[in-house]
Amino acid sequence: MSASATRTVSVLKGLGFTDAVSIPDGESRCLYQALVEDSDIEVYLPTREGEGIAIAAGLWVGGRRPVVVLQNTGLMEAGDALRGCGIGPSIPLLLLVGWRGYPGAMAGTFPVDSAYTYTEPLLEAWGLPHRTLMNNDDLGVIEEMAAVAGATSRPAAVVYGHPFSP
Amino acid sequence: MERLDLFRALAAQRSDEIVVTTMTATLQWPLVSTHPLDFDFLAFGMGHASDFGLGLALARPERKVIVLKGDGGLLMSLGSMVTMGRHGPPNLLVLLLENRGYEMTGGQAFSTKVDFVALARGAGIDKVEQIEELATVEAELPRLLDEPGPHFVVLPVTNSEPLPPVRHTDHTLRVTNLRRALGVG
Repeated sequence: MSASATRTVSVLKGLGFTDAVSIPDGESRCLYQALVEDSDIEVYLPTREGEGIAIAAGLWVGGRRPVVVLQNTGLMEAGDALRGCGIGPSIPLLLLVGWRGYPGAMAGTFPVDSAYTYTEPLLEAWGLPHRTLMNNDDLGVIEEMAAVAGATSRPAAVVYGHPFSP
Repeated sequence: MERLDLFRALAAQRSDEIVVTTMTATLQWPLVSTHPLDFDFLAFGMGHASDFGLGLALARPERKVIVLKGDGGLLMSLGSMVTMGRHGPPNLLVLLLENRGYEMTGGQAFSTKVDFVALARGAGIDKVEQIEELATVEAELPRLLDEPGPHFVVLPVTNSEPLPPVRHTDHTLRVTNLRRALGVG
């Protein structure tokens, strides 16, 4: 049970996204590969997530439409960049956030990964609108959150709970 | 070289390039320039001015993007140089103002052993150079503004002039003004 990477890329292209800034992780490995293999979306691989959010902000200010793909742990690292390059200057970045720890938490595995525990409270604390993406039936949340980001002029997140399938 | 003299030299030769500035290292830039394509990155994200500039340069390949940043800021995001080495476009020019300390917080010195030219070359940036003298900067700027890059230039600077106060202007307005100047949105 997971969302298809190729279908996700199709959704992003249909919404007019031009660039993806992404550090691959266990959850987004297939999505990263699908993005790289697609010739319509430019893919940039930064070394850390805060760097990636700043690059995406520059792309947007210059007139492109970027999506940022990062793990929840990377989102935690990127707090200052998200504040300064997203929320503060009203830049409507769409974030696809891998929810590390979600499958284990749902399976009752102990100990619970603290990356799972803090993800939703962190998004709430930043006031970031967010929806979850668990499988192909949920792909509409990408359009929904992209619209919310645009309408509110601030970042919005799609949190995916399972690794993307090809 | 004196930093303000360097800024004057750059402002005199700059035409329609975007100039991204950040933190204390560039507080004096508005004393020499009020160009609509100046962008103050102050408080947008520590260490990330050149990342933002890289994104801008990728988005606007027809226009040079100049990033003026301090060496302390660079140390906050050293990985940025690796990204610049891989993804940096020809229209990106990073001018590193090297003073070997954290000027904003009182000038605390960091390691004297850091070699920024070696770091940049090791990160895979092809066009890296260090310029020591103001006259050389003035002579080389036409090339740096015209030649395809990306370029990373280390500029050792001193400052004996008073600093303007830090002004935290509205972040959204800064972005709106730059997009308007670029004809975006």
